[in-house]
Amino acid sequence: MKVMIDGKKYDAEYGEYILNVARRNAVNIPALCHSDALPGQGNCRMCIVEIVDKGRKSIVASCAYPITGEIEIVTNSERIYRIRKTIVRLLSASAPDNEYINRLRKEYDIPPETRFKVDRDGKCILCGLCVRACDEIGVSAISTVNRGTTKRVSTPFDEPSTVCIGCGACAYICPTGTIEVNEDEGRRVIWNKTFELLKCSECGEYFITREQYEYIKKRYDLADTNELLCDKCKKKGIGDKLTNVLHNVIPVQK
Amino acid sequence: MNIFKRKVKKTVLVCCGTGCLANNSFEIYKGLKKKIEDLAVNVKVRPVVKATGCNGLCEKGPIVTILPDDVFYCGVKVTDVDEIVENTVLNNKVIERLLYFDSAKGKKVRSHKQSEFYRKQLKIALRNIGQIDPGNIDDYIERGGYSALRKVLFKMSPKGVISEVERSGLRGRGGAGFPAGLKWRQCAEMDNFPKYVVCNGDEGDPGAFMDRSIMEGDPHSILEGILIGAYAVGSEKGFIYIRDEYSLAIKNMTKAIEKAAERGFLGQNIMGKGFSFDIEIVRGGGAFVCGESTALMASIEGRVGEPRIKYIHSTEKGLWGQPTVLNNVETWANIPVIINKGAGWFSRIGSKGSRGTKVFSLVGKVRNTGLIEVPMGITLREIIFDIGGGIIGSGKFKAVQTGGPSGGCIPESLLGLGVDFDSLNEVGAMMGSGGMIVMDENTCMVEVARYYLKFLSEESCGKCIPCREGIKRMLEILEDMCTGKGREEDIELLLEISETVKEASLCGLGKTAPNPVITTIKYFRDEYLAHIKDRRCPAGICRELTVYYIDRDVCRGCGLCRKGCPTEAISGEIGSRFTIDTSKCIKCGSCKEICRLNAVKVLGGAAE
Amino acid sequence: MFYTKTILNKYPKEQRYLLAVLQDIQKKYNYLPRGALIMVQEYFDVPLSKLYSMATFYKALSLKPKGKYIIRVCDGTACHIRGSALIIDEIHRLLNILPGDTTEDGNFSLETVNCLGSCALAPVMVINDKYYGNVTPALVRRILKEYGGVNCEHIQEKG
Repeated sequence: MKVMIDGKKYDAEYGEYILNVARRNAVNIPALCHSDALPGQGNCRMCIVEIVDKGRKSIVASCAYPITGEIEIVTNSERIYRIRKTIVRLLSASAPDNEYINRLRKEYDIPPETRFKVDRDGKCILCGLCVRACDEIGVSAISTVNRGTTKRVSTPFDEPSTVCIGCGACAYICPTGTIEVNEDEGRRVIWNKTFELLKCSECGEYFITREQYEYIKKRYDLADTNELLCDKCKKKGIGDKLTNVLHNVIPVQK
Repeated sequence: MNIFKRKVKKTVLVCCGTGCLANNSFEIYKGLKKKIEDLAVNVKVRPVVKATGCNGLCEKGPIVTILPDDVFYCGVKVTDVDEIVENTVLNNKVIERLLYFDSAKGKKVRSHKQSEFYRKQLKIALRNIGQIDPGNIDDYIERGGYSALRKVLFKMSPKGVISEVERSGLRGRGGAGFPAGLKWRQCAEMDNFPKYVVCNGDEGDPGAFMDRSIMEGDPHSILEGILIGAYAVGSEKGFIYIRDEYSLAIKNMTKAIEKAAERGFLGQNIMGKGFSFDIEIVRGGGAFVCGESTALMASIEGRVGEPRIKYIHSTEKGLWGQPTVLNNVETWANIPVIINKGAGWFSRIGSKGSRGTKVFSLVGKVRNTGLIEVPMGITLREIIFDIGGGIIGSGKFKAVQTGGPSGGCIPESLLGLGVDFDSLNEVGAMMGSGGMIVMDENTCMVEVARYYLKFLSEESCGKCIPCREGIKRMLEILEDMCTGKGREEDIELLLEISETVKEASLCGLGKTAPNPVITTIKYFRDEYLAHIKDRRCPAGICRELTVYYIDRDVCRGCGLCRKGCPTEAISGEIGSRFTIDTSKCIKCGSCKEICRLNAVKVLGGAAE
Repeated sequence: MFYTKTILNKYPKEQRYLLAVLQDIQKKYNYLPRGALIMVQEYFDVPLSKLYSMATFYKALSLKPKGKYIIRVCDGTACHIRGSALIIDEIHRLLNILPGDTTEDGNFSLETVNCLGSCALAPVMVINDKYYGNVTPALVRRILKEYGGVNCEHIQEKG
């Protein structure tokens, strides 16, 4: 079917999200909580667009609005710009040290915040991608905690998680670099838990935590495999499986 | 006007709704029952004593009604029991002292039907409440209960039921006012089974207790409505989601489900017509956002109550991804009456776009606090001044807030507004579930906006950015205003953030959250300016912007205020004038409350 | 943790009973003990993170033990405009706890609730299951004294 985006006609599949069609055709719609691997979050609301569907006008989140008819879409009206600008301002007051948001702030020409009490305690914008990635891998070590204005992401009781495998998918997918991963001499520290790293048997570089290795072996029933190859050295075998596991979560874009 | 026939029988009805219970009405019920049982050996026909649900007039509770004469007593005490039985029940003598004083008429009235409070009401959803014992299914059946279900199963097709509901014009009473029949049709058209029906009894709005009263006072009417809906859309499983704090509602609904199952109204092959249906109660976890339908469903599924994006309707993909019809308590309670009396009858009540009646909880600074049911289209003035009896004390009306925490504040100039879904939306308020809070001149509108935003900041699920961050910053600004730190550009900033929160939020909570701010700015901008420019709270509520003082011309020096002051801020000699040390005063209001001469005054200006 | 086991055995192992189980445990212990959460996690085979998320999301659930007397002050709109803020302030002044907190001796917890549906009695305060209507700061002092929560010498009775 055809949809009209900013006055031009494009092809779209039934049920496809507006954002996908737009991106495929190089129409720029900003989005913070979107990942091609984990679509349809609809949390950040930066990707809002105006639509006219059967004569009815409304504002929708383009990352989660499925196209089911021939609709008209406006991605860059003055109103949409104004709302996005306010969202960026709100975010930057709550995550002022977030470089990504700072870039956006400049882009939207927002002066440094003087009205609000800026929070200095974090960069997280609670997009929710990390929690979904962790669920998707099947580990669910982290979740959102509390609600409303006190909501945050953490491990149960804010303690090192017993189930975390240290795979780092949460940090990888985080759009704002909020989740800290420290690696040093064969160790990885993430979410206050320290993991031992294993070396690639081909190139000798540290690349996977022991827990992650065990998890993949168990999940793919590879008890007999002792092969341990990093992404770069992967041929066949567990390296492939590893990328498979993470593939659902992390778009391959090295 | 009462649209239902009354059985002639000597009956004593004791209101055991939450308001009356808190005033000891259950003790009165037990006392009456015992007294009558003790005496009844000498009486030919033994009078019946029943504990009923909420009568509505909570302000005057506990309430005792004696039928068939319809003698209406209020403010009854346990010590009145003997007198009521001996005089009124046995000898038909009315006890003048206990009669209701109708302030609109300026005299006492014998029957509730004579009072202005009841006269302008029309009870459909509340038809049985106060008249029946909610624990007794026979009481419900005697008043026509389950006859609509019988009619539907024996005489109507599912399609016929849906078109009847569509033609009635019934709109969902839970907030948005979506046409109930259309929702049912959408669900019925899906050929994906199982389907679910859900009753929303979460009622999180502060100042609202309509649904609670129906669940407590007439649980079978809800069950019957749900059964009819389930038959219409082809569902065999239902859920009633009830706020956990509503312990009596949970108890009465649970009992009603048991009794209905015993009589064969629930379960397999109901009335032998091949329709099977079961229902389960789910207790809410204490989250306002779970009043939002998708969050409520998440909660039923055993997850965190976060709304999901609703571009696909619940009627297509609801509970566990299956077609689901969700309506609130009051909507379901209307269904049996619509079936029995017909769509034509129902659609003649109310206003053009909003058919039927609406239950409101009328609370705040109004004389007759309580639960009322009125035809749509009735004016705010009639509700507040005729039914509500006007403002408590000597205060002057300032605003009425409708629609719960994300509704709007309506000023005096709009009191002539006919209340329905569309008219309320037009003035920036909304119907919501039916909370109606009356505010007088001692209510600060900036502080009211702050109060609602504070509520919403705690109740937002925190999932989407505009709602979570927008509400947080709006609250920050309003808190500044209430403490004298507001800036001139703040009003515009509030409106700017409001637009973003309203347009860009994910669910209904966020989309309506700015309403209290937008309407108070629209109708009470002067008060905002007084807070910002003059650092003054005209209503005398915001502490940093008020001063307590003792009017020297009125004070007689009795010293009561000094005794009541918790911080020893008041000094003076007995017999002479007392004064308040503003540096010690915590503005708790104790002195003002104690003073019999009304000599303690609050100045709506900043302390020097 | 005997009670937790009894509670769990009442429910089928389906995720939809999670909230009900947590509520039952909360009612039994006045909070969710950690050991109980672990048992729930094992019984339903759900990630602990999801339980923790629920426990911190729903207001009916609490991870901290509550006091012997739970004071619930209604801050619904009707109560609010009839002065519930003064009641909360007075309790704070007398017991030195804010809403959500418990006194150090474990005797009192203070909570605010959004509406108790008793708007005719506004402002309303409930201690455990006892309702107090038309509450004033002075009345708060007297009521708390009854529960032994206030040092009597500093309290002056109103006439």
